[in-house]
Amino acid sequence: MDSRIMIVDDETMIREAVKILLQSEGLDIIAASGGEECLDRLRAGFRGVILMDIMMPVMDGWDTIRRIVEQGLYEGNIVVMLTAMDAPGEKMEGLQEYVTDYVTKPFDTNSLLDSLHYYLSLLPTDGDRL
Amino acid sequence: MTAPNIVMIGVSTGGPLALRRLFDGLPPLNAAFVIVLHIPPGMDYRIVLSLAAVSAMPVSLAEDGDYLRSGQIYLAPGGFHLRLEGNSRIILEEGPRVNFVQPSVDLAMKSLLKPLRRKRIVGVVLTGMGRDGAEGIRHIKEIGGVTIAQDRETSAIYGMPKAASETGAVDYVFPPEKISRKLVELLSSNKE
Repeated sequence: MDSRIMIVDDETMIREAVKILLQSEGLDIIAASGGEECLDRLRAGFRGVILMDIMMPVMDGWDTIRRIVEQGLYEGNIVVMLTAMDAPGEKMEGLQEYVTDYVTKPFDTNSLLDSLHYYLSLLPTDGDRL
Repeated sequence: MTAPNIVMIGVSTGGPLALRRLFDGLPPLNAAFVIVLHIPPGMDYRIVLSLAAVSAMPVSLAEDGDYLRSGQIYLAPGGFHLRLEGNSRIILEEGPRVNFVQPSVDLAMKSLLKPLRRKRIVGVVLTGMGRDGAEGIRHIKEIGGVTIAQDRETSAIYGMPKAASETGAVDYVFPPEKISRKLVELLSSNKE
């Protein structure tokens, strides 16, 4: 099965915890340890729901989304911020259209799973006009 | 064409889920609903399908030149600004981003005119980053409309509802389900 969820987080513990949680629900997930790896995954053809951390070294979550959009890699994806930051701050300006949801850590697992199932249902399928 | 009652909803991040909560269980009402959601082109029609699955009212992607019909939900497409002409006709247009976004809630809400007697306008601002919609809500209040903002607890990001509330022009602050009940109250007692 192709993975349709990607967690982008520099913290190994978070990546692994989310992977275990989603895999226990039968969801297939891949992980990226930073923005550059996320972009590589998208260039390689990943399309799906991206769970994006904000505070990451080298390239933070906002800069990663900017590059995703600039490089024409956004279409077919849904981006959900998964972050410890209570408020997004000014760096999000101009990215509103590309950020579908904002979930703060620690998160309620049932609520996150419900949201993910919903966002997966919003993704384009092969029969769509995208 | 006679302008109907209008409910204009501005929303951004966290919006797809908030809109589902608002429209799930909402009965058909005597108003045209216009949703301005910050969304890129290509994703908009997926939201239409998602809302149509839970809404008792038909949902469509707004098209340039559409005349508003009562009991219909219109979603502004991504990549355009939406405004209303004479509170009845949808105009889609390109142009610079407003408040860093396109479509802009402020631009859409500020295109509303003071309604004719016995017609009602309701402005709603739901979850989202930034402050788009605050000036629109102020405008709707000034032309005699009713204004509602989502509460902090249920907002994925309490940016737009907070900015709207801080204008002092918001009548009610509610979670989505309570916004639905208020809409029923406002628009069931105002028959054409």
